[in-house]
Amino acid sequence: MDSGRRTVLDFIPGRQLTMEQTLSRRNFCKLAGSSLVFAPALMRAQSSGRLTAREVVSRIKKNVGVAWRTPTADDFKIGDPDHPITGITTTFMSTFDVLERSVAAGNNFVISHEPTFWSATDVVSDLRDDPLYHQKVDFIRKNNLVVWRFHDHWHAHRPDGIFAGWNRAMGWDQYAVSGANPFSHQYVIPETSFEELARDMQTKLNVRSMRLVGDPKLRVTRVGNGGHYIGQCMALLPNIDVLLVFECREWEAAEYVRDAIAAGQKKALIQLAHENGEEAGMDECARWLKTFVTEVPIKFIPSRDPFWIPA
Amino acid sequence: MITAQQLLERMQKNVGVPWQSQRPDGYSDGILQGSPDTEVKGVATTFTPTLEVLRRAVSSGKNAIICRESPFYSRGERAPLFYRNGPAPSKDVLEKDSVVRAKQDFISQNNIVILRLTENWDARPTDGQLQGLARALGWEKFHSPSNAYPQAYDPRNIYFQLPKTDLGTLARDSKRRMKINAVRVVGDPEAPVGKVALVHGLLLVAEVERILKEPRVDTVVAGDAVEWEAAPYFQDLVTAKRASGLILLGEEASEEPGSGEVAAWLKTFLSELPVEWIPAGEPFWTLSQVGS
Repeated sequence: MDSGRRTVLDFIPGRQLTMEQTLSRRNFCKLAGSSLVFAPALMRAQSSGRLTAREVVSRIKKNVGVAWRTPTADDFKIGDPDHPITGITTTFMSTFDVLERSVAAGNNFVISHEPTFWSATDVVSDLRDDPLYHQKVDFIRKNNLVVWRFHDHWHAHRPDGIFAGWNRAMGWDQYAVSGANPFSHQYVIPETSFEELARDMQTKLNVRSMRLVGDPKLRVTRVGNGGHYIGQCMALLPNIDVLLVFECREWEAAEYVRDAIAAGQKKALIQLAHENGEEAGMDECARWLKTFVTEVPIKFIPSRDPFWIPA
Repeated sequence: MITAQQLLERMQKNVGVPWQSQRPDGYSDGILQGSPDTEVKGVATTFTPTLEVLRRAVSSGKNAIICRESPFYSRGERAPLFYRNGPAPSKDVLEKDSVVRAKQDFISQNNIVILRLTENWDARPTDGQLQGLARALGWEKFHSPSNAYPQAYDPRNIYFQLPKTDLGTLARDSKRRMKINAVRVVGDPEAPVGKVALVHGLLLVAEVERILKEPRVDTVVAGDAVEWEAAPYFQDLVTAKRASGLILLGEEASEEPGSGEVAAWLKTFLSELPVEWIPAGEPFWTLSQVGS
């Protein structure tokens, strides 16, 4: 792209980095404010017997098993946290479609792993003139929806809630081995061909847009996910046959693995949509929530692979 | 005889815009690999200097590679934010990596010089990347005329009025024309398509907002999109019935035809050297290619 046309106003490449670097004064006040109003809100919820989103979040904080971090992306993104809730949706991404399906299911509290307003930290200051933003906000207000993001601490939960769900969806818990670092996930599976592995994954995770690098006939047994970035993948690659990535720029892992193959190494790559790599973790989240939230229905609503590939 | 440095200077003289200099640590335009004193035997242009592209260049006697991406899988520590680059691997990690070492060895053993030409190429009044992509799609005849810009392929003149079709047909047709596989689509295959915005490389939300200010645009064809930014933004546009769809061709697929334009441009002032466009080809294959 022509750099001249692009403004450098927008955001940041890596999210973990992002949260630490971009906690604005406004967000900080919001966090501080939420702890100030926490006590009365809790009392209100208890006295009326009507559950609020804020009360659910306080139970999540008590049950997640790790100290609450600041700064964090895990915060209310829109809606009144003290409004009584009718039901809870867990989802990977609070897309407009997921919000509509939540309303249809009778749930007005949406717990989303990823952003609502299309940037790592849900920065909305640049969206004031955006008609789509206003349409989505109007829908949320009209239906009394509350959206809360649950990203950092669900990953920080032990086991990582996202990978616990993914392992369950794949039936791979039994194959997990300890990884090279806390962010890597490695598996030793019964030996198969690269193509068979890809087909199995496509079926189990409902993948529509799988992209592959490597010989379909390659015999494989060691599979690993190291993170979104090539630096993380490089640490893992000597120990695996198949690298699994999602939400990764094309010039990183795909180009690396194609060069590795050209250099004579027996490697392969499966690149999935971000949803297929992580949304089973929000199904896991629904199961976990039900162990300490019993007053309202809780449902996982998949946002699904956003892409399809034409034949 | 011409050296890599002289080749670079000739490019600077002919690019037609003031050359923007290299940033200290970033992969900005200029010599990324090899010595400026290296004698250039021939020039290959490509989107990204894969090991395979380097081998093909060497086997046809060419040792200068002019490309948009870097050889080592990153746009550098100081890549601008809008590149959406991940954190670059540390020098230490790179030096120990077996693939990086193999590629580095091949580069030095064959006296290869890798020159990056991206920002300065993009600063030209005619967008060579856009023009190359429009040609590859067979869309030149559909380019919306605009009197607002002096050049037909002004970087802002990205609109094409296609004969009425639907999203599924357009996606299949684009895939066939570009001879690629991993085309990803957001939207209903039956959704109507007429006026399309064409964007090479990465699509950002701010750009989609600008595009939709143009009247009657229903579809965007681009290279890639970040999956928590422009991709869900487009899903929401579709749900909100504000657009028909998004077709993502891939980074390489959307930028590679522009490397053909770079080769054509080089030939206008490099008559003493062989110049060849060596496409890297898309990195991916898909399961539908191998049948079931």
